[in-house]
Amino acid sequence: MRRVRLAIPAAVGACALLAAAPALGGTDTRRLQVWFLRDGEPVAVSRVAPAVPSLLRSLLAGPTRAERTKGLRSAIPVGTTVRELTISRRVVTVDVGARFAAGRDEASLTARVGQLVRTLRAVPGVVGVRVRIEGGVPIGLFPGYDLRRIVRAPLASQAAPTLRETQQLLVDLGFMARSGVTGRPGDETSVAVLAFEKWTGMPRDGVLDAAVVKAIARATRPEPVRREPGKRVELLLDRQVALAIVDDRVERVFHVSSGSGGRTPAGSFRVYRKERMSWSVPFSVWMPWASYFTGGIAFHEYSYVPSYPASHGCVRMMARDAPLMYAFATSGTPVDVIQGRA
Amino acid sequence: MRKRRLRRIRNRRAALAIAVCALASAPVAANAADPSTPAGAARTSPASLVIALGLRDPAMGAGVMRGGEVVLARGFEVELAKLLARRLGGRVGRFVELRPAVRLLAGPPGGGGWQLAVAGIERSRPPRAAAGLSAPYLTTDAAVVLRRHLPRPRRLADLRGRVLCAIRGSSAARAIATVVRPRTAPVLATRVDRVRELLRTGACDAALVPAIEAGRFVRGHGRELGPVAGRVESGDGFVVAVAGGIGPDVAAVDRALARLRSDGTLGRLARSWLGIDPARLRTLR
Repeated sequence: MRRVRLAIPAAVGACALLAAAPALGGTDTRRLQVWFLRDGEPVAVSRVAPAVPSLLRSLLAGPTRAERTKGLRSAIPVGTTVRELTISRRVVTVDVGARFAAGRDEASLTARVGQLVRTLRAVPGVVGVRVRIEGGVPIGLFPGYDLRRIVRAPLASQAAPTLRETQQLLVDLGFMARSGVTGRPGDETSVAVLAFEKWTGMPRDGVLDAAVVKAIARATRPEPVRREPGKRVELLLDRQVALAIVDDRVERVFHVSSGSGGRTPAGSFRVYRKERMSWSVPFSVWMPWASYFTGGIAFHEYSYVPSYPASHGCVRMMARDAPLMYAFATSGTPVDVIQGRA
Repeated sequence: MRKRRLRRIRNRRAALAIAVCALASAPVAANAADPSTPAGAARTSPASLVIALGLRDPAMGAGVMRGGEVVLARGFEVELAKLLARRLGGRVGRFVELRPAVRLLAGPPGGGGWQLAVAGIERSRPPRAAAGLSAPYLTTDAAVVLRRHLPRPRRLADLRGRVLCAIRGSSAARAIATVVRPRTAPVLATRVDRVRELLRTGACDAALVPAIEAGRFVRGHGRELGPVAGRVESGDGFVVAVAGGIGPDVAAVDRALARLRSDGTLGRLARSWLGIDPARLRTLR
């Protein structure tokens, strides 16, 4: 019974090796992956290749004309040759010509090693890649890779940041408080995404889809419309965001909903009254965290803050954001209500 | 009579043999007299220098290690080494690698097998094998890279009220703590990408990065980042190490470096490989 138990994993292992053998050096034609780049990010395409040498030839040949029209590129310089290819103990040692290291663009140099490693590691059975150039060990030529050693995995792609990383970027950009970095989706992230979408002019749905993630990864900090020293607030009616600014630095961007039909007037005002709980007489509603800046118009908390102007003139804010604005916009703080960004 | 002639011929032959032996053994004796002379240096002619490189990155110095020597070498320090060798009246015989771990272990001067080392050696932390250190060819100062739309600082005091960022544990982080001394705690990251991200997003106002890396730090990110606004002095610099006894004269290396600096060659090399000439950045005091 014990012998049988030992025999099963052994048989499975042997099958795996047999399956790997044709790919490593055999002659069976099979589909294997070759890695290229699209917008600098690794992309796999399939090739019919009987073994590693032909797969490598496919990689060095670069993307086909059709693939190029789809935006695929290779960082490996045209004319790169393979001097020697050996496979030992599931490690592929590939010795390429000097042309492989041509150029000074560090991103390209790193990307080409990534392409080579990804392509060879995708071959069933291969556990590592040893890269040699003109028979020697490249040192310092490919940033991020220590080619004195066997490379077992390519450098992680920056294509898909984690949710936590994206939340951290939203904090860095000023769209969210630090408490929002949880690594889990939630209301705070959605509101921050909505504010980001409003700021950048993207569709206002609060959904953290691939396009938004990409935009966040490239975004720069929002800039105020006007340049003035000190603490102040800018309310941008077209974007439906409020900016808390200190010395020309936007500290926070808040998702707000102002008066519909132009009921929030543009102009330069100052906070003149603050009420922790304010009662709206005409509309018979409580307005917590109210900071009045002109007439009966104030920043205040409200239960419903849509992505468009919806109020009777006041500036509605989310429950989490309203106390922050209340604390920031002390009495006398300038409030510039701006129709459209210059 | 015949005997005398034969004796004279024999004496002449003996004298000739002694002279030939003396000539043949002269280099061996010279080497034997200086036990520190490395085997590698003995293989090269006096005009052919063995130069050690640091091999850190493609901009400063990198190459392919083959059979104990560095081939396909390239980078700022590689070009500088070639120019130096030429100005010293010779040429590069071969490049070898000066590995950081070996630096401290190298025994007597010249024990590393090199005559000159252009390997990112800081004046304050030279390898044991070096007998002489040249004047600095590059500064180890920290460059100040601003976020977008931030006004250029004129003095160090202008940075004190800003949020600064750097790589944790780096010389730039030390410069923040010891030279700039900002009022708010700096943001320290573990990766250079993260420092760039902090600057791009405005989470920090200015990043301090090694001046030799500032060009590459901003390259390709011009729209996201502000300018390189100046440098914060470290008081240290990268120097050429000269192996005692077998290397060229340190004064000659200094003269060659001074000429390379004065005729603009050093600046051009820096701009070409590093994307920026750190020496031309304004010093913030």
